[in-house]
Amino acid sequence: MTDIAVFEKRVRALMAQGRLEEAEAMVRPHLASGTGPILLWRLLAQTIRPQGRLAETRAIQEMLVEAVPGDLAARFDLAETALLMGDFERGWREYHWRYSLAHTARIERKVQRPRWDGRRIPGQTLLIHDEQGFGDTFQFLRMVPWAKERSGARAILEINAETLPIAKRMGGFDAIAARGTVPPPFDLHCEMMSLPMAMGLTMADLPGPVPYLSPDPARLAKWRKTLARLKRPLVALVWAGRPEHFNDANRSLSLADLGPLALPGITFLAVQKGPKAGEAKAPPMGMNLVSLSDTIRDFEDTAAILSVADLLISVDSSPVHLAGALGRPAWVLLPFVPDWRWLMERGDTPWYPSLRLFRQSARGDWAGVAARVAQALATLRDGP
Amino acid sequence: MARKPAASKNSNADLGIEEALGRAYAHWNAGQADQAELFCQRVLAAWPGQADALHLLGVMAHAYGNLDLGLQHLRQACLAPRAPAIYFSNLAEMCRQKGLLAEGEQAGRRAVALAPDLVAAWNNLGIILQEAGKFDESLACLERVAALQPDYPEGHNNLGNTCKRLGRLDRAEAHYARALALNPNYAEAHSNLASLLNDRGRLDEAAAAARRAIDLNPRLADAYINLAAIDTARGKQAEALRRLDSLLAFAPAHPGGLAARAKALKHFDRLEEALDSARRAVAASPESAEAHDTLGQMLQALNRVDEALATFDRAAALPGTAAESARVNRAVLLMETGRKAEALEAFDAALGSHPRSAPGWFNRADLKTFAAGDPDIARMEALLGADGLQSFADRMSLHFALGKAYLDAGDADRAFRHLGEGNRMKRSTFAFDPESAARWMEDIARTFSPALLKRFKTAGCDSALPVFVVGIPRSGTTLIEQILASHPQIHGAGELPTLQALADGIGTYPTGAERLSKDDFARLGRSYLARVEPLAEGRRHVVDKMPANFLRLGLIRLMLPQARIVHCRRDPVDTCLSCYTKLFSAEQVFAYDLAELGRFHRQYQRLMDHWRRVLPADRFIEVDYEAVVEDLEGQARRLVDFLGLPWDDACIRFHENTRTIRTASVNQVRQPIYTISAGRWRKYASHLGPLLDALGIDAPR
Repeated sequence: MTDIAVFEKRVRALMAQGRLEEAEAMVRPHLASGTGPILLWRLLAQTIRPQGRLAETRAIQEMLVEAVPGDLAARFDLAETALLMGDFERGWREYHWRYSLAHTARIERKVQRPRWDGRRIPGQTLLIHDEQGFGDTFQFLRMVPWAKERSGARAILEINAETLPIAKRMGGFDAIAARGTVPPPFDLHCEMMSLPMAMGLTMADLPGPVPYLSPDPARLAKWRKTLARLKRPLVALVWAGRPEHFNDANRSLSLADLGPLALPGITFLAVQKGPKAGEAKAPPMGMNLVSLSDTIRDFEDTAAILSVADLLISVDSSPVHLAGALGRPAWVLLPFVPDWRWLMERGDTPWYPSLRLFRQSARGDWAGVAARVAQALATLRDGP
Repeated sequence: MARKPAASKNSNADLGIEEALGRAYAHWNAGQADQAELFCQRVLAAWPGQADALHLLGVMAHAYGNLDLGLQHLRQACLAPRAPAIYFSNLAEMCRQKGLLAEGEQAGRRAVALAPDLVAAWNNLGIILQEAGKFDESLACLERVAALQPDYPEGHNNLGNTCKRLGRLDRAEAHYARALALNPNYAEAHSNLASLLNDRGRLDEAAAAARRAIDLNPRLADAYINLAAIDTARGKQAEALRRLDSLLAFAPAHPGGLAARAKALKHFDRLEEALDSARRAVAASPESAEAHDTLGQMLQALNRVDEALATFDRAAALPGTAAESARVNRAVLLMETGRKAEALEAFDAALGSHPRSAPGWFNRADLKTFAAGDPDIARMEALLGADGLQSFADRMSLHFALGKAYLDAGDADRAFRHLGEGNRMKRSTFAFDPESAARWMEDIARTFSPALLKRFKTAGCDSALPVFVVGIPRSGTTLIEQILASHPQIHGAGELPTLQALADGIGTYPTGAERLSKDDFARLGRSYLARVEPLAEGRRHVVDKMPANFLRLGLIRLMLPQARIVHCRRDPVDTCLSCYTKLFSAEQVFAYDLAELGRFHRQYQRLMDHWRRVLPADRFIEVDYEAVVEDLEGQARRLVDFLGLPWDDACIRFHENTRTIRTASVNQVRQPIYTISAGRWRKYASHLGPLLDALGIDAPR
């Protein structure tokens, strides 16, 4: 192994243990002159970004993109930082490279028609297709009717089967197809999360009409009935995202971490799905928790529950987006440096007016977040 | 026994095949690769070798970057008796991408024969013919594309490329503009436009277009190569090299990138690396004439003459557009090795097959002496006329060639008109600030003060091997080197950039030298020796005749105190005039404007005055060109004696020496000395006003 590879390994070992300051201190002297190997600059950016030093991170990432324009992973890193800083213009443009990474190149859809670039195309047909995360789909579904209006085209939405019924109710397109089935013939296409780039989405365009999603009336009636016997306020809880998510360790916690929320007089509804749902069987001391996890069949159930409940408290996961799109109140628990869509510092989000953000004030400090949420919850229960 | 076409059967199974194929194509169209593949495999299970399924699998393999598998499927699909035109058209394009031009052309011709209205087929055939160097046929195909579909941006882009290859730069530019009007985000068209603007000498616009292309498609290799070429045209070789490295970071085997990198490395005298890069280009693309031509140039730089000649021959025999370059390069190499008759023959052959080759005319002009009324003059003039060459570099070099020809023929007015234009063009390609150059040269004298030289008197490496021949270009450095190198105990290494690279490595030259220690100077000395010692092969001296080392004599003194320095002097006006008539291949930024030339020469004189004061007489000698012309043997003996060698008669028969020479003086040193050079400028005095003013010399009455 070369010297630099050994060095990188040592730095990465520190980073893996969360010892970012030490990792940074190891790298920095080698770049003190202002020049150095690209690998070291990349490492430096990776040690300082999770420390929240975004302006400096971005300057390095810009430099890397300038020096090696064909390094598409570097461009994607820049996209995430630019978007996190609220620079939509540059951010959406570089976000375009999300399918050019080592682990994503094979999943890019090679649609055999040109990508729509935002122009008017009356008389033509535009296929819009969703991508990976359910949260992404809920968040960007709002742009489908906008794209139809802007393009003047006949719009076809191709979407995953799980969220198809909800999307269908939203409308604002001409046809809908489940992902993997043959859609009707089309002239141009656009990935749902390329719509911001194609349409030049700005902060001022947000949030658009909210709510843009609605629950299924039959499910709503069913859950109203089921939950009617419970004492309000009803607070739905999600403490973990999908474990396969690359950043899950940073965003998810355990139910026990939410112990401080266990205030008397509040009924908690566990809407957690996946492997961590089982934690609801042993709630923190004093928490009045009703687990709905086993009875939630699909997103229609979740949407109906969120429409009945008074509040959702959740880590950064898809139910947050569903609540926001339904116009329902939700409090989001965020790590120190969150996913780009939550921006930095602010307690609200331009994407969803009904959301309130609780951010870690220091890296890894979920306890502080839980304490602040508990305080807000007490206020909610007792009135201001 | 032929299989019956599916459509004519009625059974349910065949209906199933039709439907499965329909679904496979529809899924692929929507980018649903898994489902598309599944239906293809279903069809092939029921009907092994079914052409439509194979075609789709081939197209998909190609889309996912598996060109070989794509080709394999397409070839098989095209074996079907009723394979439609589009299959042949797709096969043609895959062949082109694989470099199989002959097979591609055949498939392309079959496609257009089957479907004369298929735009894609004409387009694909058009670009194959373009790559094969069949430009007229290519033009016909692509004009057909534009006629069938006038709003097809790719068609205009390709048409632009063919027009460019045909030298029709104005038409090419119009087609690129049309392509970009139809699709402003068309990265390839921006990149091609960049190359064209570079050819036309509009370097700022060119760089902007290349950057835009990279911005739109950061993996577009050609855009990097074009931008590096623009950097090179601006004299920014280091940036060019960085640019190519950033291309090879994601495309390590890109033949064009490797070839361009070889040329950039050659500029920095990193010849072994350059050779390696060129060899990898050839390995990556064994049928590429460009790669072979590049390899030939690297072998040429390494003085591996026979290998270089053979490689140029190989390049000239391959299809493609590099044949012209290879033929001219071959002739230049023969010229450099003094094989004048063969060289002339080679130039004639190159100009016979490529009568509009500016590099051919330019280099050939150097080799021959023109008389008034020489028909070649009219032919070169015609190439600057209405239907002439449109490339900036081509026109510039023809102006220099015509300047030379008219000077030969005694027509000074015409000569200086062409030289003025050629120099003006060259001067427009780079930035040069005479003020800061002047300050820099004063810094050099100040830094290498008598005190510094004294302080480190005992530093450096004790080797008397190196001999530095320095001076302003065109002051006789090549002649002196040739005289010396004819001595059996001396090797002439030509112009080595080694010392400049070492000087640049100390931080900022010259002031960085103030921070160096005794050991640093010894280390620099050793580094230099490491480069030249292998050349000596037992001889006592190696001559490095990089003229610009006159800027670094103090450094030489400190790193190699035993090295000898020969300063070539010549009448200042003659020297500057000679510079002005030359288009140098290396950077000589002071040499393309008469006033700047004169001013630079004055600064050089001041710096040499300084060196004369601080260098010891047993290590520093000055030789006047005019004296050599007057008394060759006397001066040659003086020099040989200065080097501590016994006299050898070979030194005055230097023109018989056949070693390779690679500077702007290449053809003069092959001749015995004629006295016409001395005081040559007087008859041109009326054209030299700004130079004489700057030099402070009165024009003769």
